[in-house]
Amino acid sequence: MGRMRAGTLGVAAVLAVLAAGCGSTGTIGEGSGGGQAAPPENKNLVLLPGVKAEPFYISMQCGAQEEAARLGYELTTQAPDRFEAALQTPIVTGVLATRPAGVLIAPTDDVALANPMQQLKDAGITVVEVDTRLQDESIAVSTVSSNNEQGGVLAAQTVAGLIGGQGKVLVLNTKAGTSTTDARARGFEQEIAGHPGITYLGQEYTENEPAVAAQKVSATLAAHPDLAAVFATNLNTGEGAATGIRNAGKTEQVRLVGFDASPNQVEDLRAGQVSALIAQDPATIGRQGVQQAVAAIEGRPVEPEIQTDLIAITQADMESKSQYFYRTEC
Amino acid sequence: MTGTEVGAPAQRPVLQRLAGASTVWIALVLVALCVLFSVLRPDAFPTLFTLQTLLIEASVLLVLAVGMTFVIITAGIDLSVGSVLVFSGVIGATLMEALSAGGDASDAGIGVVLLGLLGALAGGGAWGLLNGLLVARARIPPLIVTLASFGAALGAAQLITDGVDVRTVPQLLRDGLGFGQTAQVPHMVALAAVVTLAGAWLLHTTRFGRRTFAVGSSAEAARRAGIPVRAHLVRVYTGVGLLSGLAGFMSLAYFGTTTISGHSTDNLNAIAAVVLGGTSLFGGVGSVFGTVIGVFIPAVLTKGFVIVGVQQFWQPVAISAVLVAAVWFDQVRRRSRDRR
Amino acid sequence: MDGSGDGLPLLQARELHKSYGSVQALRGASFDLAAGEVVALIGDNGAGKSTLVKCLSGVERPDAGEILVDGAPVVLDSPTAARERGIETAYQDLAVAPDLDPAANLFLGRELRRPGLLGALGMLDKAGMRRQAAEQFARLGVTLQDLDVPIGALSGGQRQSVAVARSVVWASRVVFLDEPTAALGVVQRERVLDVVRRVRDTGVAVVLISHNMPEVLAVADRIEVLRLGARVARFTAADATLEQLVAAMTGALTHEGDR
Repeated sequence: MGRMRAGTLGVAAVLAVLAAGCGSTGTIGEGSGGGQAAPPENKNLVLLPGVKAEPFYISMQCGAQEEAARLGYELTTQAPDRFEAALQTPIVTGVLATRPAGVLIAPTDDVALANPMQQLKDAGITVVEVDTRLQDESIAVSTVSSNNEQGGVLAAQTVAGLIGGQGKVLVLNTKAGTSTTDARARGFEQEIAGHPGITYLGQEYTENEPAVAAQKVSATLAAHPDLAAVFATNLNTGEGAATGIRNAGKTEQVRLVGFDASPNQVEDLRAGQVSALIAQDPATIGRQGVQQAVAAIEGRPVEPEIQTDLIAITQADMESKSQYFYRTEC
Repeated sequence: MTGTEVGAPAQRPVLQRLAGASTVWIALVLVALCVLFSVLRPDAFPTLFTLQTLLIEASVLLVLAVGMTFVIITAGIDLSVGSVLVFSGVIGATLMEALSAGGDASDAGIGVVLLGLLGALAGGGAWGLLNGLLVARARIPPLIVTLASFGAALGAAQLITDGVDVRTVPQLLRDGLGFGQTAQVPHMVALAAVVTLAGAWLLHTTRFGRRTFAVGSSAEAARRAGIPVRAHLVRVYTGVGLLSGLAGFMSLAYFGTTTISGHSTDNLNAIAAVVLGGTSLFGGVGSVFGTVIGVFIPAVLTKGFVIVGVQQFWQPVAISAVLVAAVWFDQVRRRSRDRR
Repeated sequence: MDGSGDGLPLLQARELHKSYGSVQALRGASFDLAAGEVVALIGDNGAGKSTLVKCLSGVERPDAGEILVDGAPVVLDSPTAARERGIETAYQDLAVAPDLDPAANLFLGRELRRPGLLGALGMLDKAGMRRQAAEQFARLGVTLQDLDVPIGALSGGQRQSVAVARSVVWASRVVFLDEPTAALGVVQRERVLDVVRRVRDTGVAVVLISHNMPEVLAVADRIEVLRLGARVARFTAADATLEQLVAAMTGALTHEGDR
């Protein structure tokens, strides 16, 4: 029974070490000291984007860092490798253990992240939602996001303008349950219904993978060779859609309207592979998020809902709107 | 006859056997990591809260990895565990929604929840049985069989749900299993612990476990000794399928949604945990306790890095380095102990 | 005289054929065995000795031909079928599980379970198996460096000793020993031959496959010679000479003994 005995001893050793350093702080679902606000000398903020290495979130990080520094706070960032709740949850609970004064988070699932975020709130940490949001609106003190539905409407208008109000259009969504892209698709659908000459082919899900987006575009082109326009609801789908259209040799025929202005997309716009980009303002989202978090921490009034503007960028006016391009580093 | 020998060699003393048990060394690596992070952030790492969240967040993977231990000990492999987990969660959730008024399972009672559990287990077991039959009877290599079911199970789950996560999960399940705790022990952790202990008992003390080692060590020797190798393999793979089904139900309880797209690397994480714990990919050697350590080393690393605030891009590099170092260290020790 | 038994022959093979793809291993091989005798099965490389043993121990099934136990035809479709008839085999490739310890290998497929409810659940009596294994190894003169390491960590000779011991311990009617002394030193080889004689004296028949002619002549009662997948000669050990045996193996002589 060497293994069993070794096993028991080992488990005991691990538990002993952890128990030795066991503080009395924090159990699940219970706040420490009844959830009081952070002490005034705690100037730590943490930004939790949905995924690493995405220019949208990096731009947000840049804006947030600038604003935090301006207000005298320290901002750090922790993001999961993939846009997945199972990966973001351990990061949330890990950050909770470090007791920042406030957290800015883009929840990767509008249901699954509710409990971890509730734990943040119960521990007395100010929670601000940026970009995406939970279904449960009671947890975050403020939600700062793009008016995604308006963005979808803007996209539909841009598409209609590009194809002269006639033709077939496809929408590429990411993963079901992502509040942002669903809102964009919804806004697009509503607006496009008002253009009788346009046939709406529906939306396809791409799991936020460019490769899948390319495949869906190719498949749609195979079924509808006269496809006139594609609206890609986010960065990854846009990059994938551009590849799919290019591989099919239909760059002249298919107008691509993308969402977000990542460096690749900006290049595609410059090169004419993409006809227009609907850009969010992630830097402003980051800035506003920090402002609201600090206001809540310092006991001042908070704006529960802030919607930032989106704008359409075309090849013609791109140089004048270069401040809206997303950055890959601060 | 030149005379019988003096009695059998005596069993080595406990301490010597302990030092030889390779899993103890891996456990020391884990302890060392815990100590390191505790020293770096004494206010945040060595707390009851961190321990609880670590355990909860590892519990689903632990259930998968316990099953994977058996499979790898038979010199096989199962790449389908993540997809079967998703499929089982979908079956369970869809069943519970179907049994609820208006397709909304939020207020379902214990009866519906238990039926959902049965559905999840049945779904997982079915895929496990299929894997086992293809491996044992059709004699297709496990890598290929489970690679195929990795895709097929996920595809089946997406077919059932049209790719959209099931959103109404009984609150009873979420509060009871997902977030419930008794005497500071979260129920998710208790369930994973029960599975782990049962797995350890099965593997290290029963005939089933001994035959699992035998089949992995030499399937031909086992066959000639009269062990029904094919039937045994079918049982092992079915067992993994059942555990994946349980894990799917646990994931449903914790996240409140089927997270269809979120389990693509569960298989590799489970395999890494098993191998890190000292189980050989060539079969015949392994332990459940080692798997437990193997699950927690990456979990502690990830959590520790977040708490200490390591720049996020360093984390996967550092985690991989520790994994390779731990396995290399174990291999060196193993080679110096065995081999003549 | 065919062996020392009287009455029905214990084990017989009649005209066995076995092919592996395009290679014909057995072309009408026959074999006879009576209780309580030691028969040596000899032949050059590729004569089909191991294949014949595998057919008679249930590991392989012949393509054609008959196998008779106690005069009645049987089908040995699995190693278990042979074991149930009291036929045990120590294979040339040992067929041990390298990662299990010697006691576990001894009880492979015949694991002891604990008494009562725990045993019904499948729990092993590891202490009991270790104890019995130690007794059996001592009884048979098998000395092992360490009873608690994986058998793969022991020398080839010790592994072979365990494989031979395993077949002897469990056999109740026939033991096949395929090259049982190949990896053994002089002292151990003598012990194995002693064990063979003792087993024979208990009434169990022993079939010994060996390349070692002096060994064969020292311990066997009868000798059967295979060549190119068929039996070509039978001898009683008392009447056979080394030259005759070699001549039979190489095809220069066919001798059916005193029929």
